[in-house]
Amino acid sequence: MTFRSLALSNIRGNWRSYSAFFLSSVFSVLIFYIYAAFLAHPDVVNGNIMAATKVRRGMVFCEYLIVIFSFLFVLYSNSAFLKTRKQEFGLFSLFGMTKAQLRRLVIYENTAIAVLAIAVGIGLGMLFSKLFFMALGVLLDMDETIPFAVPLKAVWLTGGGFFLLFMVISLWTALRIGRNEIIDLLNAARKPKGQLVYSIWLVALAIVCLATSYGVALSMTPENSEGLTSPLIVLVTVVIGTYFLFTQLSVLFLRFIQKRRGVYYKRTNMIVYSQLGYKIKDNARILFTVSLLSAVIMTALGAVYILQIGSTEEMVKRSPYSIVYIEEGLNSHKVIDPKQMERIIQEDGFKVTREAKFTGVKLSDPVIKSGEVERSYDWSSALIMSLGDYNKLASSLGEPIQTLQEGTVKVSVPIYGDNPFGSGTVEGKLNGVHRSFEMSEAINAAVINTTDFNYVTLVMDDLSFARLLSGIPEDKLLVAYAFELSNWKKAGETATKLQQLVPKELLPGTDFKRSIRYASSAEEISLTVFIGIFIALLFFIASGSMIYFKLFTELQEDQAQFKSLSRIGMTRGEIRKIVVTQIGIVFFVPCVVGIVHTLFAMMALDNLMESSNWIYSFVVIGIYIAMQSIYFLFACGSYMKSMLRGATA
Amino acid sequence: MSVLKAQGLGKIYSSKGNVAYKALEDIELQVEAGEFVGVMGPSGSGKTTLLNLLATIDRPTSGQIEINGVNPSKLIEKKLALFRRRELGFVFQDFNLLDTLSIKENIILPLVLEGMAPRIIEQKLAPIAEFLQIAPILEKRTYEVSGGQKQRAAIARAIIHQPSLVLADELTGNLDSKAAKDVMDALKDMNERYKATILMVTHDPFSASYCQRIVFIKDGKFFSEIRRGANRQAFFQQILEALSVLGGNFDDVPFARA
Repeated sequence: MTFRSLALSNIRGNWRSYSAFFLSSVFSVLIFYIYAAFLAHPDVVNGNIMAATKVRRGMVFCEYLIVIFSFLFVLYSNSAFLKTRKQEFGLFSLFGMTKAQLRRLVIYENTAIAVLAIAVGIGLGMLFSKLFFMALGVLLDMDETIPFAVPLKAVWLTGGGFFLLFMVISLWTALRIGRNEIIDLLNAARKPKGQLVYSIWLVALAIVCLATSYGVALSMTPENSEGLTSPLIVLVTVVIGTYFLFTQLSVLFLRFIQKRRGVYYKRTNMIVYSQLGYKIKDNARILFTVSLLSAVIMTALGAVYILQIGSTEEMVKRSPYSIVYIEEGLNSHKVIDPKQMERIIQEDGFKVTREAKFTGVKLSDPVIKSGEVERSYDWSSALIMSLGDYNKLASSLGEPIQTLQEGTVKVSVPIYGDNPFGSGTVEGKLNGVHRSFEMSEAINAAVINTTDFNYVTLVMDDLSFARLLSGIPEDKLLVAYAFELSNWKKAGETATKLQQLVPKELLPGTDFKRSIRYASSAEEISLTVFIGIFIALLFFIASGSMIYFKLFTELQEDQAQFKSLSRIGMTRGEIRKIVVTQIGIVFFVPCVVGIVHTLFAMMALDNLMESSNWIYSFVVIGIYIAMQSIYFLFACGSYMKSMLRGATA
Repeated sequence: MSVLKAQGLGKIYSSKGNVAYKALEDIELQVEAGEFVGVMGPSGSGKTTLLNLLATIDRPTSGQIEINGVNPSKLIEKKLALFRRRELGFVFQDFNLLDTLSIKENIILPLVLEGMAPRIIEQKLAPIAEFLQIAPILEKRTYEVSGGQKQRAAIARAIIHQPSLVLADELTGNLDSKAAKDVMDALKDMNERYKATILMVTHDPFSASYCQRIVFIKDGKFFSEIRRGANRQAFFQQILEALSVLGGNFDDVPFARA
């Protein structure tokens, strides 16, 4: 047996605990390679794929993220391995292996694992890169597919980079072993479990920190959180709070349960809770890391999701109709022929679900004066419309209905528009004649999309409006047409087609763009999600594998314990119940903590965005819980199997 | 009334490609209620196999066992576990106490698993703890107490649910002689005071001298049986003589454990 074969058989022997680590490493290599393969793809480098620039920066950022994360993950896993193998190292030392040899053994093992992980990762990466390119091609709306390619640069970058990463870490961990006495190494596993202790001060600190972070997060508004102070406070306190939540509050909670005899002395509860204390205490750091990771994943995905929903809602609010045009002259149809439009809409398979038409009067060069404030709008004329028309439109959209005093007007500016006005006057030229109207109030509202005819809208009582109307020739009147399409999110192409029919000089009086805008923002978001989802998946798998790994390091201890329990007559069902409860808690407690963090983060985001969409983050949370459950079932099954095998043997 | 009745008990270990090995052959054993019986034999004589069969964690290949009128090999696995839990009590050489539980929690475990009310549990615990002199250490953890105290806690656990039969396996093997004497005194008191029926497997003549009757086995077969008179010292001599007739190696405590 050579030294190398010893290292290899060590890996084989420890495969159960290595496997989760190995798979997560493979997965990081895989993702890294796929991104690198895209970035180094000949067509992308040559600039043949124009759309690639849209995702380039995001991907480069993700590459850095993967490297940093992998570094921490491998570092953690390596030192955890060494800890669990102390006894084995003690035995090797006892047989006379020198420290240098031990180190060499560790480095050999790590090299083998690293080479294997990199090879498998890049191999799988090549296999899946075509799939990735295809998906990306669809999202980027490309006509040609991205051809399969294996850019050597990507292979070298991935292989070399990860090899370096693994080696640096294994050198570092190898240097740290062999500082203990042999007897300590041999007895490492047999250390008695001490009494669980907690400090009331640290418990208080945990509560104060969590309360502070949640409080500060919820009190953030766009006005008071210009700088980085508030987010930084939230971040620091939430990290400290979560850490002590697991190391201190958990013990306090278990003590509380142990005092409640009714619960504690109920069948298997006693074993579940007594072991749980140690499980949580021993794994506090992992649980802490995993809950923060889950919070980061869910917050990031939730934020993107909510922003998407928010931006769609905002779009509909600002532009209540898919297609709007305002033209001069009754029945002039110089902007677009209604028949032709109808035909195109029908041909493309859309239906008009809502439609509005009203007549207005144009007020050129409008100026609003209100106290000290004076605004002139030279790029847009104002539209005067009747209160009746306004309220009809408003009620069909569910917007508030307005009332007016006779002889005054209400001014409406767009929702996103600046509105520093109180009461005052509006001036402008009406059919070439200077006119002034008394303004009772200016509101932010949109009952129809904004065009260059109606950035400012004057709402006038019906009687005055009719009088005004009679003094204007028909060909000078403005008529607004508005149509809402069914399935408008998909109507981008139709809208573009219609827009091409409009004479260029009349385009400022139209707004066909909602569907087009939606399509481009949806593409951006789906690209972000597509690239980000792999990172989220990587975090998720890695955090799960940490728990999984920890479980298996405790397997032997648990096996011995359940063996003695089954000897004194504990049934298989009871053992299963205990194991499932314990693993369940270890899997889902960080998940729950992460969810709570996420919800607060989402509410804070809502406050900052002045929206109320945080409830939608439950979609992301739901998906996360479902995935975690799958992981849990898998871990549970695999653990139970090895456990029973050991316990009945 | 006999608590344990074993008839024609045999166990053959066989696996593919190996010669079948007869670990136990035609053992007849009967234990009456309230008896304190010892089983002795040299290394490899089949003591542990016999105990495993009686403990229902292994099944005989021939013959049958009846504990309190029930044949455990006819029970399905779950019923069997419950049967062990209710009808049997165990004391092991390596104590088998859970180190995540306190001494008290370890002792009351069988009652807790049965779902007994906390009040009744406390009532049952108090006299036994008092009697075994472990009341002061009840709240301690397993690593804080001595081997003798651990073994007395294990005895309390084996007896608290009033099983039909207590099985003890080399229970003094890990103890020094003073602690061994304390533990054996405690076990004997349990037998006399609580009328516990005890079957003990041991290689140690001193521990065995506490029994009322000793069954010797050799090479998996019944060898001889002796009964105790009034005097324990005389019984001890009797055991030594029987062992010298029996022959064989009695140093079956592994070197590393001693």
